[in-house]
Amino acid sequence: MAAMKFYCDAERCIECNGCVTACKNVNEVPWGVNRRRVVTIKDGEPGERSLSVACMHCADAPCAAVCPVDCFYTTDDGIVLHDKDICIGCGYCFYACPFGAPQFPTDGAFSSRGKMDKCTFCAGGPLEDNSSEEFRKYGSNRIAEGKLPACAEMCATKALLAGDADMVSEIYRKRVVNRAQAALGKGAQLRYRNFGSKVDMKGKATN
Amino acid sequence: MTMSTTKSSHGPLMLKGMLATVLLVLILPLMPYVFAVNTDVSSSVAGSVPNPGADLWRAVRARDGVVAGSSQVKGVETGVLIDPAGKAWLEFRKEKLIPYSAYVFAGVASALLLYFLLHGRIRIKAGRSGVLVPRYSRYERWVHWIMVVVFMTLALTGVILLYGRFVLIPLLGPEGFHMTAQISKWLHDIMGPIFIISLIVMAFTFFREAICRCKVDMIWFLRAGGYLGGKHPSSGKINAGQKAWYWAVVLGGIVLIGSGLVMYFPNFQQGREIMQNANMIHGLAAVFVIAFMFIHIYLASVGMEGSLECMTSGNCDENWAIEQHDLWYEEMKEEGRIGAQSSTEKQAQLPD
Repeated sequence: MAAMKFYCDAERCIECNGCVTACKNVNEVPWGVNRRRVVTIKDGEPGERSLSVACMHCADAPCAAVCPVDCFYTTDDGIVLHDKDICIGCGYCFYACPFGAPQFPTDGAFSSRGKMDKCTFCAGGPLEDNSSEEFRKYGSNRIAEGKLPACAEMCATKALLAGDADMVSEIYRKRVVNRAQAALGKGAQLRYRNFGSKVDMKGKATN
Repeated sequence: MTMSTTKSSHGPLMLKGMLATVLLVLILPLMPYVFAVNTDVSSSVAGSVPNPGADLWRAVRARDGVVAGSSQVKGVETGVLIDPAGKAWLEFRKEKLIPYSAYVFAGVASALLLYFLLHGRIRIKAGRSGVLVPRYSRYERWVHWIMVVVFMTLALTGVILLYGRFVLIPLLGPEGFHMTAQISKWLHDIMGPIFIISLIVMAFTFFREAICRCKVDMIWFLRAGGYLGGKHPSSGKINAGQKAWYWAVVLGGIVLIGSGLVMYFPNFQQGREIMQNANMIHGLAAVFVIAFMFIHIYLASVGMEGSLECMTSGNCDENWAIEQHDLWYEEMKEEGRIGAQSSTEKQAQLPD
């Protein structure tokens, strides 16, 4: 049983927001909803890094643990999905999620919450695969077509990795080691090559 | 001539030099990659290589609560990469609020049941006199019963949303419970604003009676209202326990309204942490007021003879008034309101 995961390589992400655009384009998400966003840390300062964040498809998902109507389920691929026909739009998943993944279209008075919308790992929802109703509610189902999420496939620098956790971590591990080898090969110490201590949140806070 | 020979001899050389420089500039940065590719990845270095991704997440997380970055996606807290406060909120809700509130409700309910089994119904000791004393006006009763409908709806729908997943989903199934939960959420959202008006009206209606008469009320509390035996302490129109209930509803209601509004209007750009805290406060206040409500309902129905009719017909029996609210009875007697009933009060007295 595979466990699908995203991983964003901060050493590669150039904050082009291509993933955000790809996601919106492929899934035709409701207005005001951003399933994915790129966050830049220490913008304009030494050590600036960007990360693309969406639903992390947690193994022990807090959203699923807190949902009062229990509308979340994990697929065989380890993708956390939810049933919009059961969701009541209470917003508890949004309180619980550390990554700010659950989004709510504001379709009522006083910005009252509609049914929750979040990244589906391009795996649609509980409805029939690639049916028009599934597309309307959850966006496209690329997983059913044998494709990976659009955001990762579109990523120009291959910073955003998506796929089986073992493969993603193997790719990332190789990258980390290669970079370290490269740095050491030039006679530099790791900490002078932006590895480790230099990538911290010290210095000016970028808000 | 000399010029041209210099050109012909130096030109290609310069070109070659420039080309070589360009090539060098292009290739040099790639050298480490070539080096790296040719090296076995799983060499001894691998064990000690820091993971910049993990380090970055750790560093960001160490700055919890602070907006740590910026994002082109504009919105509330879109610059926050990770918000650990959600975990604390989730644990509070799942491991504290849900089980302990159930213990509180079960504890209060079983204490009342035990009291009823041991002590039985509190009777009018002298028996019914048949003389009626006007106690609550028609207006006061309307205020009370509207509050009952609003409060009970809010309490019931809130409790459904709190326990439904564990109690009702096994019974109704997820699709069945969806309808219940959706209706509960709508009702809770609609009744919330009505509760604000209802609470304000109720607070003013019964305010005069709920002011503390310190000496009398202190004695009442010290004797536990006479419910645990001993002489029944004297009390005014409403006793200290009822006053406590009034203030529990008013103050608890204010807390519930305040915390509810924070969650009700996500469009005021408040962050998650504020809403998480509002949710915790909302839950605690609700548990407190609902548990108190159990006692109120018990004493106003099966627990005591002659108490429910005060709120239904507006009148109470003379002997009940003497036994339960002696000071109020004496005031009423001095004012000459016992026996001499006005036409509206006679109307209220009719069985309905």
